[in-house]
Amino acid sequence: MELLQSIVNAVLGLGSQIFLPVVMILVGLLVKMKFKDAFSAGLTLGVAFVGMGAIIGFMFGFISPAAEALVNNTGIQLNAIDVGWSPLASIAWAWPYAFILFPIQIVVNMAMIALNKTNTLNVDLWNVWNKILTAVMVVAVSGSVVAAMVVGTIQVIFELWNADLTQKQVQKTTGIPGVSVPHSMMMFAVVLNPFNKILEKIPGLNANIDAQTLKDKIGIFAENHVMGFIIGTLIGFAAGYQPVAAVNLGISTGTALTLFPMVAKLFMVALSPISDAAGEFMKSKFPGREFYIGLDWPILAGSPELWVTAVILVPVMLVFALILPGNNVLPMGGIVNICLVAPLLIITGGNIVRMIILGVLSTPVFLYVGTLLAPTITELARSTGTYDVPAGQMISWAGMEMPVFRYVFSQASDVINGNFIGLILLAVWGGLWFLYVKEWKERNKAL
Amino acid sequence: MKRVIVACGSGVATSQMVASKVSRLLRDKKVNAVVDAVDIKSIDTHIKQCDVYIAITAPTKEYPVPILNGIAFLTGIGMEKELDKLINYLK
Repeated sequence: MELLQSIVNAVLGLGSQIFLPVVMILVGLLVKMKFKDAFSAGLTLGVAFVGMGAIIGFMFGFISPAAEALVNNTGIQLNAIDVGWSPLASIAWAWPYAFILFPIQIVVNMAMIALNKTNTLNVDLWNVWNKILTAVMVVAVSGSVVAAMVVGTIQVIFELWNADLTQKQVQKTTGIPGVSVPHSMMMFAVVLNPFNKILEKIPGLNANIDAQTLKDKIGIFAENHVMGFIIGTLIGFAAGYQPVAAVNLGISTGTALTLFPMVAKLFMVALSPISDAAGEFMKSKFPGREFYIGLDWPILAGSPELWVTAVILVPVMLVFALILPGNNVLPMGGIVNICLVAPLLIITGGNIVRMIILGVLSTPVFLYVGTLLAPTITELARSTGTYDVPAGQMISWAGMEMPVFRYVFSQASDVINGNFIGLILLAVWGGLWFLYVKEWKERNKAL
Repeated sequence: MKRVIVACGSGVATSQMVASKVSRLLRDKKVNAVVDAVDIKSIDTHIKQCDVYIAITAPTKEYPVPILNGIAFLTGIGMEKELDKLINYLK
Protein backbone atom coordinates (compact mmCIF):
# COMPACT_ATOMS: atom_id res chain seq x y z
CA MET A 1 0.00 0.00 0.00
CA GLU A 2 2.78 2.35 0.99
CA LEU A 3 4.60 1.51 -2.20
CA LEU A 4 1.48 2.24 -4.24
CA GLN A 5 1.06 5.55 -2.41
CA SER A 6 4.62 6.57 -3.16
CA ILE A 7 4.26 5.59 -6.83
CA VAL A 8 1.07 7.69 -7.08
CA ASN A 9 2.77 10.62 -5.37
CA ALA A 10 5.79 10.33 -7.61
CA VAL A 11 3.60 10.39 -10.74
CA LEU A 12 1.58 13.37 -9.45
CA GLY A 13 4.82 15.10 -8.56
CA LEU A 14 5.80 15.07 -12.22
CA GLY A 15 3.29 17.86 -12.85
CA SER A 16 0.10 17.90 -14.85
CA GLN A 17 1.85 18.25 -18.21
CA ILE A 18 3.41 14.79 -17.73
CA PHE A 19 0.82 13.14 -15.50
CA LEU A 20 -2.23 13.87 -17.67
CA PRO A 21 -0.78 12.73 -21.00
CA VAL A 22 0.13 9.43 -19.32
CA VAL A 23 -3.45 9.03 -18.04
CA MET A 24 -4.76 10.04 -21.44
CA ILE A 25 -2.67 7.44 -23.27
CA LEU A 26 -3.83 4.73 -20.86
CA VAL A 27 -7.51 5.75 -21.20
CA GLY A 28 -7.08 5.85 -24.98
CA LEU A 29 -5.67 2.32 -25.06
CA LEU A 30 -8.53 1.24 -22.76
CA VAL A 31 -11.15 2.42 -25.30
CA LYS A 32 -9.16 0.56 -27.98
CA MET A 33 -7.44 3.43 -29.75
CA LYS A 34 -4.34 2.53 -31.75
CA PHE A 35 -1.16 3.19 -29.75
CA LYS A 36 -0.02 5.75 -32.31
CA ASP A 37 -3.29 7.73 -31.97
CA ALA A 38 -3.42 7.40 -28.18
CA PHE A 39 0.17 8.60 -27.90
CA SER A 40 -0.53 11.55 -30.18
CA ALA A 41 -3.69 12.50 -28.22
CA GLY A 42 -1.84 12.25 -24.91
CA LEU A 43 1.04 14.35 -26.10
CA THR A 44 -1.37 16.95 -27.53
CA LEU A 45 -2.81 17.29 -24.03
CA GLY A 46 0.65 17.94 -22.61
CA VAL A 47 1.30 20.51 -25.35
CA ALA A 48 -2.00 22.21 -24.49
CA PHE A 49 -0.98 22.54 -20.84
CA VAL A 50 2.45 23.94 -21.55
CA GLY A 51 0.99 26.23 -24.23
CA MET A 52 -1.63 27.59 -21.87
CA GLY A 53 1.03 28.19 -19.22
CA ALA A 54 3.16 30.07 -21.74
CA ILE A 55 0.31 32.46 -22.65
CA ILE A 56 -0.54 33.03 -18.97
CA GLY A 57 3.11 33.89 -18.35
CA PHE A 58 3.10 36.20 -21.37
CA MET A 59 -0.09 37.88 -20.11
CA PHE A 60 1.20 38.48 -16.59
CA GLY A 61 4.32 39.99 -18.14
CA PHE A 62 2.35 43.03 -19.30
CA ILE A 63 -0.75 42.96 -17.10
CA SER A 64 1.02 42.88 -13.70
CA PRO A 65 2.81 46.20 -14.24
CA ALA A 66 -0.38 47.66 -15.73
CA ALA A 67 -2.44 46.60 -12.69
CA GLU A 68 0.20 48.15 -10.43
CA ALA A 69 0.20 51.39 -12.43
CA LEU A 70 -3.62 51.37 -12.24
CA VAL A 71 -3.43 51.32 -8.43
CA ASN A 72 -0.85 54.11 -8.36
CA ASN A 73 -2.77 56.24 -10.83
CA THR A 74 -6.35 55.79 -9.58
CA GLY A 75 -6.22 54.01 -6.21
CA ILE A 76 -8.34 51.24 -7.71
CA GLN A 77 -6.92 47.92 -6.57
CA LEU A 78 -8.06 44.89 -8.55
CA ASN A 79 -5.74 41.99 -7.78
CA ALA A 80 -7.60 39.12 -9.37
CA ILE A 81 -7.06 39.01 -13.14
CA ASP A 82 -10.04 37.54 -14.99
CA VAL A 83 -8.45 35.01 -17.33
CA GLY A 84 -11.68 33.64 -18.79
CA TRP A 85 -12.70 30.02 -19.15
CA SER A 86 -9.84 28.38 -21.02
CA PRO A 87 -7.15 28.58 -18.31
CA LEU A 88 -9.79 27.51 -15.78
CA ALA A 89 -10.47 24.41 -17.84
CA SER A 90 -6.82 23.44 -17.77
CA ILE A 91 -6.62 24.00 -14.02
CA ALA A 92 -9.67 21.76 -13.63
CA TRP A 93 -8.15 19.02 -15.80
CA ALA A 94 -4.95 19.21 -13.78
CA TRP A 95 -6.77 18.07 -10.65
CA PRO A 96 -5.54 14.49 -9.98
CA TYR A 97 -9.09 13.05 -9.66
CA ALA A 98 -10.48 14.86 -12.72
CA PHE A 99 -10.92 11.80 -14.93
CA ILE A 100 -13.24 10.12 -12.39
CA LEU A 101 -15.97 12.58 -13.36
CA PHE A 102 -16.09 11.02 -16.84
CA PRO A 103 -17.49 7.64 -15.72
CA ILE A 104 -19.71 9.43 -13.17
CA GLN A 105 -21.41 11.50 -15.87
CA ILE A 106 -21.80 8.53 -18.22
CA VAL A 107 -23.10 6.10 -15.60
CA VAL A 108 -25.48 8.59 -13.94
CA ASN A 109 -26.90 9.64 -17.32
CA MET A 110 -27.42 6.06 -18.50
CA ALA A 111 -29.00 5.03 -15.20
CA MET A 112 -31.39 8.00 -15.34
CA ILE A 113 -32.42 7.14 -18.89
CA ALA A 114 -32.95 3.50 -17.96
CA LEU A 115 -35.12 4.59 -14.99
CA ASN A 116 -36.99 7.18 -17.09
CA LYS A 117 -35.72 10.02 -14.90
CA THR A 118 -34.50 12.02 -17.88
CA ASN A 119 -35.02 12.19 -21.63
CA THR A 120 -31.64 13.73 -22.37
CA LEU A 121 -28.61 11.75 -23.47
CA ASN A 122 -25.71 14.11 -22.90
CA VAL A 123 -23.08 13.42 -25.56
CA ASP A 124 -21.28 16.65 -24.69
CA LEU A 125 -18.45 15.02 -22.76
CA TRP A 126 -16.19 18.01 -23.26
CA ASN A 127 -18.10 19.87 -20.56
CA VAL A 128 -17.33 17.20 -17.99
CA TRP A 129 -14.79 19.80 -16.98
CA ASN A 130 -17.66 21.95 -15.63
CA LYS A 131 -18.29 19.22 -13.08
CA ILE A 132 -14.57 18.96 -12.37
CA LEU A 133 -14.37 22.69 -11.65
CA THR A 134 -17.30 22.43 -9.22
CA ALA A 135 -15.67 19.41 -7.59
CA VAL A 136 -12.36 21.18 -7.01
CA MET A 137 -14.23 24.08 -5.42
CA VAL A 138 -15.98 21.66 -3.09
CA VAL A 139 -12.62 20.20 -2.11
CA ALA A 140 -11.30 23.70 -1.45
CA VAL A 141 -14.15 24.38 1.00
CA SER A 142 -14.73 21.00 2.63
CA GLY A 143 -11.42 19.22 2.06
CA SER A 144 -13.27 16.08 1.03
CA VAL A 145 -12.83 14.34 -2.32
CA VAL A 146 -15.89 12.20 -1.58
CA ALA A 147 -18.04 15.31 -1.04
CA ALA A 148 -16.66 16.65 -4.34
CA MET A 149 -17.78 13.54 -6.19
CA VAL A 150 -21.20 13.70 -4.53
CA VAL A 151 -21.70 17.33 -5.58
CA GLY A 152 -20.38 16.47 -9.07
CA THR A 153 -23.03 13.75 -9.28
CA ILE A 154 -25.76 16.16 -8.09
CA GLN A 155 -24.68 18.61 -10.79
CA VAL A 156 -24.97 15.94 -13.49
CA ILE A 157 -28.54 15.21 -12.36
CA PHE A 158 -29.64 18.85 -12.23
CA GLU A 159 -28.09 19.60 -15.61
CA LEU A 160 -30.07 16.78 -17.20
CA TRP A 161 -33.31 17.85 -15.53
CA ASN A 162 -32.73 21.42 -16.64
CA ALA A 163 -32.06 20.21 -20.21
CA ASP A 164 -35.39 18.33 -20.17
CA LEU A 165 -37.29 21.34 -18.81
CA THR A 166 -35.92 23.79 -21.36
CA GLN A 167 -35.88 21.48 -24.40
CA LYS A 168 -38.99 22.96 -26.01
CA GLN A 169 -37.74 26.51 -25.62
CA VAL A 170 -34.33 25.49 -27.03
CA GLN A 171 -36.05 23.95 -30.03
CA LYS A 172 -38.13 27.09 -30.52
CA THR A 173 -35.05 29.35 -30.26
CA THR A 174 -32.69 27.30 -32.45
CA GLY A 175 -35.12 25.55 -34.76
CA ILE A 176 -33.20 22.30 -34.19
CA PRO A 177 -35.46 19.39 -33.23
CA GLY A 178 -34.46 16.61 -30.85
CA VAL A 179 -31.68 18.38 -29.01
CA SER A 180 -31.36 19.91 -25.54
CA VAL A 181 -28.68 21.89 -23.70
CA PRO A 182 -27.45 20.28 -20.47
CA HIS A 183 -24.60 22.81 -20.15
CA SER A 184 -24.08 23.96 -16.57
CA MET A 185 -24.29 27.65 -17.53
CA MET A 186 -28.01 27.20 -18.17
CA MET A 187 -28.53 26.56 -14.43
CA PHE A 188 -28.21 30.29 -13.76
CA ALA A 189 -31.73 30.59 -15.18
CA VAL A 190 -32.96 29.13 -11.85
CA VAL A 191 -31.85 32.36 -10.15
CA LEU A 192 -33.04 34.60 -13.01
CA ASN A 193 -36.52 33.11 -13.14
CA PRO A 194 -38.32 35.06 -10.35
CA PHE A 195 -36.87 38.38 -11.57
CA ASN A 196 -37.92 37.58 -15.13
CA LYS A 197 -41.44 36.89 -13.83
CA ILE A 198 -41.56 40.33 -12.23
CA LEU A 199 -40.32 42.08 -15.39
CA GLU A 200 -42.88 40.22 -17.50
CA LYS A 201 -45.58 42.00 -15.51
CA ILE A 202 -44.29 45.46 -16.44
CA PRO A 203 -45.97 46.69 -19.63
CA GLY A 204 -43.81 48.19 -22.34
CA LEU A 205 -40.87 45.84 -21.78
CA ASN A 206 -41.93 43.46 -24.49
CA ALA A 207 -40.98 45.71 -27.37
CA ASN A 208 -39.75 44.06 -30.55
CA ILE A 209 -36.21 44.98 -31.48
CA ASP A 210 -34.44 43.98 -34.65
CA ALA A 211 -31.52 42.20 -33.05
CA GLN A 212 -30.07 40.98 -36.36
CA THR A 213 -29.40 44.48 -37.68
CA LEU A 214 -27.94 45.53 -34.33
CA LYS A 215 -25.73 42.44 -34.29
CA ASP A 216 -24.37 43.17 -37.75
CA LYS A 217 -23.42 46.65 -36.51
CA ILE A 218 -21.85 45.86 -33.14
CA GLY A 219 -20.96 42.16 -33.50
CA ILE A 220 -17.33 43.01 -34.30
CA PHE A 221 -16.82 44.10 -30.68
CA ALA A 222 -17.38 40.52 -29.55
CA GLU A 223 -14.40 39.25 -31.57
CA ASN A 224 -11.58 38.28 -29.23
CA HIS A 225 -8.82 40.43 -30.68
CA VAL A 226 -11.02 43.54 -30.98
CA MET A 227 -12.42 43.18 -27.46
CA GLY A 228 -8.96 42.49 -26.03
CA PHE A 229 -7.53 45.51 -27.80
CA ILE A 230 -10.23 47.86 -26.49
CA ILE A 231 -10.09 46.62 -22.89
CA GLY A 232 -6.28 46.61 -22.84
CA THR A 233 -6.05 50.13 -24.27
CA LEU A 234 -8.63 51.41 -21.76
CA ILE A 235 -6.72 49.85 -18.87
CA GLY A 236 -3.55 51.41 -20.25
CA PHE A 237 -5.03 54.91 -20.28
CA ALA A 238 -6.60 54.42 -16.84
CA ALA A 239 -3.17 53.36 -15.59
CA GLY A 240 -1.74 56.66 -16.84
CA TYR A 241 0.28 55.13 -19.72
CA GLN A 242 1.42 57.29 -22.66
CA PRO A 243 -0.79 56.74 -25.77
CA VAL A 244 1.76 54.51 -27.55
CA ALA A 245 2.24 52.37 -24.43
CA ALA A 246 -1.53 52.14 -23.93
CA VAL A 247 -2.09 50.99 -27.51
CA ASN A 248 0.72 48.49 -27.08
CA LEU A 249 -0.99 47.12 -23.99
CA GLY A 250 -4.18 46.88 -26.06
CA ILE A 251 -2.50 44.86 -28.79
CA SER A 252 -0.82 42.58 -26.26
CA THR A 253 -4.15 41.96 -24.52
CA GLY A 254 -5.75 41.24 -27.89
CA THR A 255 -2.95 38.76 -28.54
CA ALA A 256 -3.52 36.90 -25.27
CA LEU A 257 -7.29 36.72 -25.78
CA THR A 258 -6.80 35.46 -29.35
CA LEU A 259 -4.24 32.83 -28.35
CA PHE A 260 -6.20 31.39 -25.40
CA PRO A 261 -8.90 29.75 -27.51
CA MET A 262 -6.32 28.62 -30.08
CA VAL A 263 -4.50 26.66 -27.41
CA ALA A 264 -7.75 25.54 -25.73
CA LYS A 265 -8.64 23.89 -29.04
CA LEU A 266 -5.80 21.46 -28.42
CA PHE A 267 -7.59 20.11 -25.34
CA MET A 268 -10.53 19.30 -27.57
CA VAL A 269 -8.31 17.72 -30.23
CA ALA A 270 -6.87 15.44 -27.55
CA LEU A 271 -10.19 14.56 -25.92
CA SER A 272 -12.32 14.24 -29.04
CA PRO A 273 -11.60 10.56 -29.92
CA ILE A 274 -12.43 9.48 -26.37
CA SER A 275 -15.56 11.58 -26.05
CA ASP A 276 -16.70 10.35 -29.48
CA ALA A 277 -16.19 6.73 -28.48
CA ALA A 278 -18.05 7.29 -25.20
CA GLY A 279 -20.96 9.01 -26.98
CA GLU A 280 -21.27 6.17 -29.48
CA PHE A 281 -21.13 3.67 -26.62
CA MET A 282 -23.99 5.41 -24.77
CA LYS A 283 -26.14 5.66 -27.88
CA SER A 284 -25.56 1.98 -28.71
CA LYS A 285 -26.94 0.95 -25.29
CA PHE A 286 -30.43 2.28 -26.04
CA PRO A 287 -31.28 1.22 -29.59
CA GLY A 288 -34.67 2.44 -30.78
CA ARG A 289 -35.21 4.63 -27.74
CA GLU A 290 -36.04 8.25 -28.59
CA PHE A 291 -34.35 10.92 -26.56
CA TYR A 292 -32.99 14.41 -26.83
CA ILE A 293 -29.32 14.58 -27.65
CA GLY A 294 -27.69 16.91 -25.13
CA LEU A 295 -25.30 19.32 -26.85
CA ASP A 296 -22.99 22.15 -25.85
CA TRP A 297 -24.29 25.76 -25.72
CA PRO A 298 -23.03 26.93 -29.18
CA ILE A 299 -26.18 25.60 -30.80
CA LEU A 300 -27.72 28.78 -29.30
CA ALA A 301 -25.05 30.99 -30.89
CA GLY A 302 -27.16 31.68 -33.98
CA SER A 303 -29.43 33.99 -31.97
CA PRO A 304 -28.43 37.61 -32.58
CA GLU A 305 -30.04 38.57 -29.23
CA LEU A 306 -27.30 36.61 -27.49
CA TRP A 307 -24.46 38.60 -29.06
CA VAL A 308 -26.15 42.00 -28.83
CA THR A 309 -26.78 41.53 -25.10
CA ALA A 310 -23.26 40.17 -24.55
CA VAL A 311 -21.68 43.25 -26.18
CA ILE A 312 -23.96 45.69 -24.31
CA LEU A 313 -23.03 44.05 -20.99
CA VAL A 314 -19.27 44.51 -21.54
CA PRO A 315 -19.07 48.16 -20.43
CA VAL A 316 -21.57 47.32 -17.69
CA MET A 317 -19.18 44.76 -16.21
CA LEU A 318 -16.22 47.15 -16.51
CA VAL A 319 -18.05 49.93 -14.68
CA PHE A 320 -19.31 47.57 -11.97
CA ALA A 321 -15.77 46.22 -11.51
CA LEU A 322 -14.55 49.76 -10.81
CA ILE A 323 -17.35 50.93 -8.52
CA LEU A 324 -18.61 47.86 -6.65
CA PRO A 325 -17.30 47.87 -3.07
CA GLY A 326 -15.39 44.69 -2.31
CA ASN A 327 -14.89 43.64 -5.92
CA ASN A 328 -11.37 42.43 -6.59
CA VAL A 329 -11.73 41.17 -10.17
CA LEU A 330 -10.23 42.98 -13.16
CA PRO A 331 -12.46 41.83 -16.04
CA MET A 332 -10.65 40.66 -19.17
CA GLY A 333 -10.81 37.13 -20.56
CA GLY A 334 -14.35 36.50 -19.37
CA ILE A 335 -15.81 39.88 -20.21
CA VAL A 336 -17.97 38.60 -23.08
CA ASN A 337 -20.17 36.86 -20.55
CA ILE A 338 -21.71 33.95 -22.47
CA CYS A 339 -22.48 32.14 -19.22
CA LEU A 340 -24.92 34.92 -18.38
CA VAL A 341 -26.44 35.67 -21.79
CA ALA A 342 -27.16 32.06 -22.76
CA PRO A 343 -29.46 31.38 -19.77
CA LEU A 344 -30.94 34.88 -20.29
CA LEU A 345 -31.81 33.97 -23.88
CA ILE A 346 -33.73 30.87 -22.80
CA ILE A 347 -35.47 32.20 -19.67
CA THR A 348 -36.73 35.36 -21.43
CA GLY A 349 -37.54 33.49 -24.63
CA GLY A 350 -35.24 35.89 -26.51
CA ASN A 351 -36.77 39.16 -25.28
CA ILE A 352 -33.83 41.49 -25.62
CA VAL A 353 -35.14 44.25 -23.32
CA ARG A 354 -35.58 41.86 -20.41
CA MET A 355 -32.26 40.18 -21.28
CA ILE A 356 -30.43 43.47 -20.90
CA ILE A 357 -32.20 44.55 -17.70
CA LEU A 358 -31.69 41.18 -16.03
CA GLY A 359 -28.12 41.08 -17.37
CA VAL A 360 -27.27 44.42 -15.76
CA LEU A 361 -28.87 43.36 -12.47
CA SER A 362 -27.01 40.05 -12.28
CA THR A 363 -23.55 41.11 -13.49
CA PRO A 364 -22.47 41.94 -9.87
CA VAL A 365 -23.19 38.32 -8.91
CA PHE A 366 -20.54 37.16 -11.35
CA LEU A 367 -17.99 39.70 -10.10
CA TYR A 368 -18.58 38.86 -6.45
CA VAL A 369 -18.41 35.10 -6.97
CA GLY A 370 -15.28 35.70 -9.06
CA THR A 371 -13.83 37.68 -6.13
CA LEU A 372 -14.80 35.06 -3.53
CA LEU A 373 -13.34 32.19 -5.53
CA ALA A 374 -10.15 33.92 -6.69
CA PRO A 375 -7.99 32.68 -3.76
CA THR A 376 -9.20 29.10 -4.32
CA ILE A 377 -8.56 29.21 -8.05
CA THR A 378 -5.12 30.78 -7.58
CA GLU A 379 -4.15 28.25 -4.91
CA LEU A 380 -5.28 25.46 -7.23
CA ALA A 381 -3.24 26.82 -10.13
CA ARG A 382 -0.17 26.98 -7.90
CA SER A 383 -0.63 23.59 -6.20
CA THR A 384 -1.24 21.69 -9.44
CA GLY A 385 1.75 23.48 -10.90
CA THR A 386 -0.36 24.59 -13.84
CA TYR A 387 0.59 28.26 -13.79
CA ASP A 388 3.05 30.58 -12.22
CA VAL A 389 0.92 33.32 -10.71
CA PRO A 390 3.11 36.20 -9.43
CA ALA A 391 3.01 36.82 -5.67
CA GLY A 392 0.37 39.33 -4.60
CA GLN A 393 -1.75 38.58 -7.66
CA MET A 394 -4.56 36.18 -8.24
CA ILE A 395 -6.44 34.72 -11.16
CA SER A 396 -10.17 34.27 -11.42
CA TRP A 397 -13.00 34.10 -13.93
CA ALA A 398 -15.52 36.94 -14.03
CA GLY A 399 -18.03 35.16 -16.24
CA MET A 400 -18.17 31.78 -14.57
CA GLU A 401 -20.92 29.28 -15.37
CA MET A 402 -23.50 28.69 -12.66
CA PRO A 403 -21.82 30.98 -10.09
CA VAL A 404 -24.66 30.65 -7.60
CA PHE A 405 -24.95 26.85 -7.78
CA ARG A 406 -21.19 26.50 -7.34
CA TYR A 407 -21.05 28.88 -4.41
CA VAL A 408 -24.09 27.41 -2.64
CA PHE A 409 -23.14 23.77 -3.08
CA SER A 410 -19.49 24.22 -2.14
CA GLN A 411 -20.53 26.11 1.01
CA ALA A 412 -23.14 23.47 1.81
CA SER A 413 -20.54 20.69 1.50
CA ASP A 414 -18.85 22.14 4.57
CA VAL A 415 -21.60 20.52 6.61
CA ILE A 416 -19.34 17.47 6.91
CA ASN A 417 -17.05 19.65 9.00
CA GLY A 418 -19.92 20.74 11.25
CA ASN A 419 -20.51 24.03 9.46
CA PHE A 420 -24.24 24.35 8.87
CA ILE A 421 -24.53 27.86 7.42
CA GLY A 422 -24.31 26.56 3.86
CA LEU A 423 -27.46 24.52 4.42
CA ILE A 424 -29.50 27.72 4.70
CA LEU A 425 -28.20 28.81 1.29
CA LEU A 426 -29.00 25.35 -0.01
CA ALA A 427 -32.58 25.61 1.26
CA VAL A 428 -33.05 28.97 -0.51
CA TRP A 429 -31.64 27.51 -3.71
CA GLY A 430 -33.98 24.51 -3.37
CA GLY A 431 -36.91 26.91 -3.15
CA LEU A 432 -35.79 28.69 -6.32
CA TRP A 433 -35.46 25.35 -8.12
CA PHE A 434 -39.02 24.42 -7.06
CA LEU A 435 -40.39 27.68 -8.54
CA TYR A 436 -38.31 27.13 -11.67
CA VAL A 437 -39.68 23.64 -12.31
CA LYS A 438 -43.22 24.96 -11.80
CA GLU A 439 -42.60 27.79 -14.27
CA TRP A 440 -41.33 25.51 -17.04
CA LYS A 441 -44.11 22.96 -16.58
CA GLU A 442 -46.55 25.83 -17.04
CA ARG A 443 -44.70 27.26 -20.05
CA ASN A 444 -44.16 23.95 -21.79
CA LYS A 445 -47.92 23.46 -22.04
CA ALA A 446 -48.06 26.49 -24.31
CA LEU A 447 -44.89 25.76 -26.30
CA MET B 1 -5.63 21.27 -50.66
CA LYS B 2 -9.29 22.04 -50.08
CA ARG B 3 -10.23 23.62 -46.78
CA VAL B 4 -13.34 22.98 -44.70
CA ILE B 5 -14.28 25.22 -41.80
CA VAL B 6 -16.56 24.45 -38.85
CA ALA B 7 -17.79 27.41 -36.81
CA CYS B 8 -19.19 27.62 -33.29
CA GLY B 9 -19.60 30.28 -30.63
CA SER B 10 -16.14 29.86 -29.15
CA GLY B 11 -14.20 28.29 -32.02
CA VAL B 12 -12.99 25.77 -29.45
CA ALA B 13 -15.26 23.06 -28.19
CA THR B 14 -18.21 22.19 -30.41
CA SER B 15 -16.57 23.26 -33.65
CA GLN B 16 -13.33 21.44 -32.83
CA MET B 17 -15.29 18.35 -31.84
CA VAL B 18 -17.04 18.34 -35.23
CA ALA B 19 -13.80 19.26 -37.02
CA SER B 20 -11.89 16.37 -35.41
CA LYS B 21 -14.68 13.98 -36.22
CA VAL B 22 -14.98 15.14 -39.84
CA SER B 23 -11.19 14.86 -40.31
CA ARG B 24 -11.28 11.30 -39.02
CA LEU B 25 -14.22 10.41 -41.28
CA LEU B 26 -12.49 11.94 -44.30
CA ARG B 27 -9.24 10.17 -43.50
CA ASP B 28 -11.11 6.86 -43.31
CA LYS B 29 -12.58 7.55 -46.76
CA LYS B 30 -9.13 8.59 -48.04
CA VAL B 31 -10.25 12.12 -48.87
CA ASN B 32 -7.58 14.77 -48.47
CA ALA B 33 -8.70 18.06 -46.92
CA VAL B 34 -7.91 20.42 -44.07
CA VAL B 35 -10.69 20.80 -41.51
CA ASP B 36 -10.42 23.80 -39.18
CA ALA B 37 -12.52 24.95 -36.24
CA VAL B 38 -13.16 28.69 -36.23
CA ASP B 39 -14.95 31.27 -34.11
CA ILE B 40 -18.37 32.17 -35.57
CA LYS B 41 -17.85 35.79 -34.53
CA SER B 42 -15.10 35.97 -37.16
CA ILE B 43 -16.93 33.94 -39.81
CA ASP B 44 -16.87 36.69 -42.43
CA THR B 45 -13.06 36.59 -42.41
CA HIS B 46 -12.77 32.80 -42.49
CA ILE B 47 -15.42 32.21 -45.15
CA LYS B 48 -13.16 33.83 -47.77
CA GLN B 49 -10.52 31.16 -47.27
CA CYS B 50 -12.57 27.98 -47.36
CA ASP B 51 -14.28 25.63 -49.82
CA VAL B 52 -17.03 24.27 -47.59
CA TYR B 53 -18.63 25.67 -44.43
CA ILE B 54 -20.06 23.29 -41.83
CA ALA B 55 -22.48 25.34 -39.72
CA ILE B 56 -23.59 24.55 -36.17
CA THR B 57 -26.21 27.31 -36.25
CA ALA B 58 -28.38 28.18 -39.25
CA PRO B 59 -26.58 30.92 -41.23
CA THR B 60 -28.41 34.24 -41.40
CA LYS B 61 -26.97 35.33 -44.72
CA GLU B 62 -25.80 33.99 -48.06
CA TYR B 63 -22.26 32.74 -48.48
CA PRO B 64 -20.39 31.94 -51.70
CA VAL B 65 -19.52 28.39 -50.54
CA PRO B 66 -21.69 25.32 -49.91
CA ILE B 67 -23.00 25.01 -46.35
CA LEU B 68 -23.53 21.74 -44.49
CA ASN B 69 -25.43 20.92 -41.32
CA GLY B 70 -22.98 20.46 -38.42
CA ILE B 71 -25.61 19.25 -35.97
CA ALA B 72 -25.80 15.99 -37.95
CA PHE B 73 -22.19 15.25 -36.99
CA LEU B 74 -22.96 15.91 -33.32
CA THR B 75 -26.10 13.80 -33.03
CA GLY B 76 -25.19 11.20 -35.66
CA ILE B 77 -28.67 11.62 -37.22
CA GLY B 78 -28.35 12.21 -40.98
CA MET B 79 -24.57 12.20 -40.69
CA GLU B 80 -23.89 9.85 -43.60
CA LYS B 81 -25.89 12.09 -45.94
CA GLU B 82 -23.97 15.21 -44.91
CA LEU B 83 -20.68 13.33 -45.20
CA ASP B 84 -21.53 12.18 -48.73
CA LYS B 85 -22.37 15.76 -49.73
CA LEU B 86 -19.10 16.95 -48.20
CA ILE B 87 -17.06 14.37 -50.12
CA ASN B 88 -18.83 15.45 -53.31
CA TYR B 89 -17.93 19.10 -52.73
CA LEU B 90 -14.32 18.16 -52.09
CA LYS B 91 -13.90 16.24 -55.36
